[in-house]
Amino acid sequence: MRYVIAGYVVILTLLFLYSVQLVWRRRRLNRTVARAVSAGRSAVAAPSDTGRAA
Amino acid sequence: MSTPSTADAPTHPPEPAATNTGVTPPPAQSARSRTTERVIGVLALVGTVCTVWLGLWVTPPDRTQGDLVRLVYIHPGVAWVALYLAFGLAAVSSVLYLWPRTRSLFWDRLAAAAVEVGVVFNICTLVSGSIWGKPTWGVWWAWDARLTLTAVLLVLFLGYLALRRIPAEPEVRARRSAFVALFAVIDVPLVHFSVNWWNTLHQGATVLNPGLTLKIHGSMAWTLLLGFAALTLVFVWMLLVRYRIGVLEDWLDANELGAALAERQAEGADRAGGPLAGGHPGDGAPTERVGVA
Repeated sequence: MRYVIAGYVVILTLLFLYSVQLVWRRRRLNRTVARAVSAGRSAVAAPSDTGRAA
Repeated sequence: MSTPSTADAPTHPPEPAATNTGVTPPPAQSARSRTTERVIGVLALVGTVCTVWLGLWVTPPDRTQGDLVRLVYIHPGVAWVALYLAFGLAAVSSVLYLWPRTRSLFWDRLAAAAVEVGVVFNICTLVSGSIWGKPTWGVWWAWDARLTLTAVLLVLFLGYLALRRIPAEPEVRARRSAFVALFAVIDVPLVHFSVNWWNTLHQGATVLNPGLTLKIHGSMAWTLLLGFAALTLVFVWMLLVRYRIGVLEDWLDANELGAALAERQAEGADRAGGPLAGGHPGDGAPTERVGVA
């Protein structure tokens, strides 16, 4: 029975860890994208202002 | 002057229209999509818990295998997901990418997501098979046709994932990845028919045999089928999340380049000190959109 328990534990642990990693990756990327969008907005504003000033 | 340039428009769906600020955010995940993902996730979790409960506590031991038969409730399920669902979907998506009429980076992202999830399930297949093999055959590993071909399949798709890490234009990466996926998936029918074509230690198919006849019965059969369904739902949930990760990664890759170009344009504008700063040639007016794709 210990082989059976080991089999279930290994597979369920692998799938659980991969699921957690997927959720964590997506959350991190969502945050990075949000930062990039706000940074992009400020980056866009800067050259436009330069252009107007010139 | 806030109209976005068509040159900056993305070449692949689905992308939203550019905002007035000039930054095109990545396509947002709809509320319906999020709800579907949650429902599938909950069903997958409940199905997996039920399979484990039935497999470990409810079903009887087998007359010849004893308690080891309990590993059969998950081992064919993870193999089914890896070989047929994940790698099969990757092959179909690759064909649809290579086919000119259906060419879209959607298929490339779907193939990449399917392969990554499939590799995890392929590892689960080899590990659970090995744990079953030790008390049954007396060894953790045997150079049996099915085992060896399954290991080769894992190596091939690890190569696919490694290939995708090589920096390249999205279209170039998608094209060569699709060819590699189609080459690798040739191994799937070899794995499937290996138990019929060669004398192997591995037993024949319990469900996906030529006659599609279940070779186990009663609560054992229902538990096995529930395991297939639960692991399929786990795969679908993982695929949805992994696909979304692909969308976000592609967006970030595209915008890193766009941001760098914008920076160079701004530097050029500062040096010129005139109205050519990022504006349309000849009209002398500055644009509000700076090359962020």
